[in-house]
Amino acid sequence: MSVTSLQKDRRGRARPPRFGSIPRKAGDLILSDFFVLYLSLAYFLVLVPFLPTLTNPANLSNLLSNMWPLLVVAVGQTFVLTVGGIDLSQGAVIGLTSAIAGALLATAGSANVLSNAPIWGVLIGEEGGALNGVPGAVWLGIAAMLLAGALVGLLNGVSVAYLNMPPFMVTLVGLIAIGAFAIWLTQSENIRPLPEAFIKLGKGDIVSLYLGPQDEPRIPRRQVYSFVTWPMLLAISIAVAAHLLLSRTVFGRYVNAVGANRKTAEISGVPVRRVIVTVFVISALCAAAGSILYSARLEAGRPTLGEGAFLLDVIGAVVIGGTSLFGGRGKIIWTVFGVFFFVLLSNTLNLMNLSAFVIDMVKGAVILAAAILNVLRTRLIQERTA
Amino acid sequence: MKRTSRLKAALLGATVALGGLAGGAQAATICFAFQDLETEFWVAGHQAITSTLEERGHTVIERNANEDANRQFEQVRDCIAQGVDGIIIIPQDGESAVTIVQEAQDNDVPIAVFNRPPSDLSRGIVVVADNATIAEQAVDFLVEEALADAPEGEKLQPLIVVGDLGDPNAVGRKDGFYNAIEKQADRFETPIEVASEWDAATALANLEAAVTANPDIDLVFTSSDFLFPTIRSVFEPRGMWVPRGEEGHVIMGGLDGDATACQLIKDGYVDATGVQDLYFEAEASLDAILSAIEDGEYAPNEVIEDPGFALTSENMAEREMDMWGCVLLSEGFLDQ
Repeated sequence: MSVTSLQKDRRGRARPPRFGSIPRKAGDLILSDFFVLYLSLAYFLVLVPFLPTLTNPANLSNLLSNMWPLLVVAVGQTFVLTVGGIDLSQGAVIGLTSAIAGALLATAGSANVLSNAPIWGVLIGEEGGALNGVPGAVWLGIAAMLLAGALVGLLNGVSVAYLNMPPFMVTLVGLIAIGAFAIWLTQSENIRPLPEAFIKLGKGDIVSLYLGPQDEPRIPRRQVYSFVTWPMLLAISIAVAAHLLLSRTVFGRYVNAVGANRKTAEISGVPVRRVIVTVFVISALCAAAGSILYSARLEAGRPTLGEGAFLLDVIGAVVIGGTSLFGGRGKIIWTVFGVFFFVLLSNTLNLMNLSAFVIDMVKGAVILAAAILNVLRTRLIQERTA
Repeated sequence: MKRTSRLKAALLGATVALGGLAGGAQAATICFAFQDLETEFWVAGHQAITSTLEERGHTVIERNANEDANRQFEQVRDCIAQGVDGIIIIPQDGESAVTIVQEAQDNDVPIAVFNRPPSDLSRGIVVVADNATIAEQAVDFLVEEALADAPEGEKLQPLIVVGDLGDPNAVGRKDGFYNAIEKQADRFETPIEVASEWDAATALANLEAAVTANPDIDLVFTSSDFLFPTIRSVFEPRGMWVPRGEEGHVIMGGLDGDATACQLIKDGYVDATGVQDLYFEAEASLDAILSAIEDGEYAPNEVIEDPGFALTSENMAEREMDMWGCVLLSEGFLDQ
């Protein structure tokens, strides 16, 4: 569409066409912070009569447990998208840091599996990982994972901010090169067993629930539902901290300003380069934190963790939440709702017994719909501020 | 559809046999979670399990993890939430299998692992081929053939295409290969190992490199028959894809027993393959899981071993129809 075909505002500037006549209240709803939450609840309520398992406590418990690790990674992606970038290397960071966790924390090692790996005899041997038996090993291992993630983020951020390289290209290289490095480290092998204290972080219950009378001496385990878990606490803590950082601090305002218009932000005195580097470091740190939850839940260091359609889930959830792909507009609470909707969608598609291919096609269609909605929201905002 | 009906026909024997074994089981809901269906073996295994269960009146909930261990873990948990009576899985790898088996048993749902065993065999119903023995039988034949044609005192160069060593099946097959080669250690150079990670593209790249660096290969063993087309695409342009009896034939073998391997043995390009008895393994998985459900057993632990055998160019005439791939071939599987 050429500029000449666009409508003009009162000052004679070209502006995008209106989306028909969207009633004011519908517009308010679409622009509401809670729009995706309302959508999720409506979707949930519509499906309940057809999928009774949906409200089963075990299913609700699953829904939540699937949400936490994805939320942690998506929080990091929210920062990058808000600043007007994209981080495709998150999946590779997850794989790399998972392999590092395995190499450092494993309580035993198998020569049969790992003898060809370059880390064999250096970081891991028959007696386990380098930190096995060391006091505070789990915390040291986690620190190493976070450090590795931060270094990758720093590299990405410096390349984007100081070398002016496109974020897509920089992080695509990261996705390929770091992913390959992780696989090379263990020669594609998974490393287990990991210590119980670490596994607890991915699947440990703090409060469990049993609903009903105790008629038998032994309550079947499948009727005891996880209610408060370690991954839940970690994910909520990270999301709350990220929310405060993005919405209540000067740094958060800088992030939005750089995403809205980098040149204007620079002229206004925003330390643009430092903001971009910090945002990429946050993204990689969140990926490393997500890796802790995923590795612990699968009880193994897996260099291929985060491969495949994983990025589709992360970016999809953030975009569904409402964070703009063009930068300048993002909120952690949107991401929380986006992740919830995305996990709910996957769960319900599973309960419908659809094939994996259909599920991915539906997910793709929903992300497309979210992107269209994103454009609609942007234009609604422009119309209202014109 | 046509392929499905032919496969069903091939499975009739398995179904009838199972009918006698688990005839008393009430209709159950079974979750069948598989990692993907990328080879003939998995396609046939999937068909054997689902059609047999459905024909017996059980409900099958299928979950395809698309080669994602975390997704498979979440799918199994969804199945448990749906209240399934039992689970059969083909896991992504031995490590994730351990976690998933434990998750199912912690939730009091019996689980059977089909063909790709957990790295810890102590929990769950594990149906697995004796990979080391089957591979050793096949490679014993390859060694015999290779030495029969070799001049006295000359050392031969063997090559093995290794699977993903995170999969205990791959480890067993590699062990079986070395066991056979080491019996004649003085007649063989150190074997060349080519990593495949159970991925045709990876195998192609690594095999290209290995054959370019070592063009004089005398014996090839692939840890899975599904890689024969990959081997052919590397060997053919180099004049190394030659049938038995002709100058330049490379002694070749594999393991699985699929339809392609059957055809290649008939055509003379392949000399032997280790055969997993797919129908026995499918029957054993179903029988064990249905028995556990019937007995109200939440956490059955049992290892069921498929002894398998080696189909060679020598015993082809007698044992051809014992191999599942040859049965499918006779049904026109490769013509589809």
